[in-house]
Amino acid sequence: MAHMTVAVSEGVFRRSFDLLQRNLVFEKADSASFGSFTAGYDVKAHLEGGSVDLRADGTIRVKELDLRWDRLRFTLGLNIPELCVGGGCVDMPWPIPDICLPRVCIFSGDPDISISPDLVAFVAQEVSFTARLVVRYFDAALPLPSPDLCAPLRVEPPPAHNQWHIHIDPETIDVDLFDFPDIVGDLIEDALTDAVKALIPGGWVRDLILAIIGSVADLIRTILDIPDEIEEWLSDLFNVSFGLLDSIGTVILDFFSRCNPLYRMDDPLEIMPASNGLIAVRIPVRNLSVSVNDAEMVVQADVGA
Amino acid sequence: MPDILYDLFCVPIEVAPEVRAAGNPLFTEQDPLPVFGAPTPIGLNWCFQITDVRIDFHPGNTIGLPPELGALPEQRLALRMKGCFGLDCPSEDLIRDLLSAVEVLATASGRQDPSHAVTPSRGAPPWTPVILPTRKLTCFCLELFAVAHFEWGAIGAPDSQWLKLRLDGLEVVDLEPAEMEDLVECYTRTVLRLGLLPRLSQPIESMVLNLTDLLRKQGLTIGQRVTLQPAPAPAAAPHNPAVESDQLMAFINLVVEEL
Repeated sequence: MAHMTVAVSEGVFRRSFDLLQRNLVFEKADSASFGSFTAGYDVKAHLEGGSVDLRADGTIRVKELDLRWDRLRFTLGLNIPELCVGGGCVDMPWPIPDICLPRVCIFSGDPDISISPDLVAFVAQEVSFTARLVVRYFDAALPLPSPDLCAPLRVEPPPAHNQWHIHIDPETIDVDLFDFPDIVGDLIEDALTDAVKALIPGGWVRDLILAIIGSVADLIRTILDIPDEIEEWLSDLFNVSFGLLDSIGTVILDFFSRCNPLYRMDDPLEIMPASNGLIAVRIPVRNLSVSVNDAEMVVQADVGA
Repeated sequence: MPDILYDLFCVPIEVAPEVRAAGNPLFTEQDPLPVFGAPTPIGLNWCFQITDVRIDFHPGNTIGLPPELGALPEQRLALRMKGCFGLDCPSEDLIRDLLSAVEVLATASGRQDPSHAVTPSRGAPPWTPVILPTRKLTCFCLELFAVAHFEWGAIGAPDSQWLKLRLDGLEVVDLEPAEMEDLVECYTRTVLRLGLLPRLSQPIESMVLNLTDLLRKQGLTIGQRVTLQPAPAPAAAPHNPAVESDQLMAFINLVVEEL
């Protein structure tokens, strides 16, 4: 029989997990060039809600955590090939002077247009995973790894003394794909169309340019190489090209599995505080183990020498 | 107290190196035992040790309680320990060396007003007693048996919860005469109840091995206060704390309040 046993009910475990997961913040920004356009993102999200189930097979199931986006700014810049019209002269018989059209060039910038909508209101995702509990020993005498990947994720600074740590170690993490609704496609398309139209002068030049490029919408789709709906293209951009799903999964994995223990215990463990000039009474903790059944988490340990 | 004196005590003490490093004393120093009637204060070194403490949770199966305490009741634990008393009995040579000086003082005081001869005048510092040099303590140890239980209670702040060890009964085996046994038991019981056991009270947080320290900190960062409270008995558990199945069990609720 172990010297010490602490049994944590499923309700307390759930509460502990809730407190920890509320401290998880995913924040990232990046941009990439795709030839004729550039795209970038600046996002921040946290976790809320969800359910935690302790299972008889020794695993825990975390279901339907809401990935709440605090910021989901998407930046899209189009580099439209320069288009020049006019500039030629029509030879007229003497004494009528030649008629020369002014040369007008548009889309000379790089990028020519840029939009940066915040898509927070349009995205809702959930995260689920199955995990096991693992025990790790934090030896304060050892230096932190360099680079310290946990530094931005740590809720508490590393302890100054040795500790036993109980971590949630996700085995598989399932993050819902980015699935933007039609309204986002319309929003982006309208914003791009308005921006392009604003670059095209009026009068005969406009007529001439529209005659050359067809519709503005067609131009945009050609540049972005969008075969179908723009919202599907946007979802694919976030899911695959940006690799945000992998990034979210990695952050969740590192946050729980490596950087932030769900429970921790000092070694040696103080059982009587220092007082009146006497040092604290501490007992060394050995052989700490953790297990889960469908009702509770059980931590056992021995008092070592 | 010089380290060398620790070797003189009735029972040697195994000391953790951290205690040595911190320079913490191994004993609480007390005034010497006075030599009554001496014309000048003379003290004898003595020591009292409780040692070799063993605990047996219900059902008792390692400590056989004496008949006076009966069978170990449910929800109780048995304790067996040794109470040792040692006295620095001065040698004949030392007595002989001191005797002539003491006789002078005794007879001088006998010819004067005793109150002026043996006590300092009002307002003067008290005389420092002469403590006879200790070479060896003469010790005896008695085997003590006790029955105790645990209970929850506040210490200081009313919302603090501590696990306290309460003494139910104590027995010194086969000490004669009976009145002396009663007296020794009374003194030992008083030492345990007022001297030793209060120091062993444990805050509720330590009963979960401080696992919830991190939760309390994390809760505060998001506006929640996380506290621990004993689960109510018998509503949540038949006994809390419970001493049964050779274990001490404490049932504790985690309470989360929005700040």
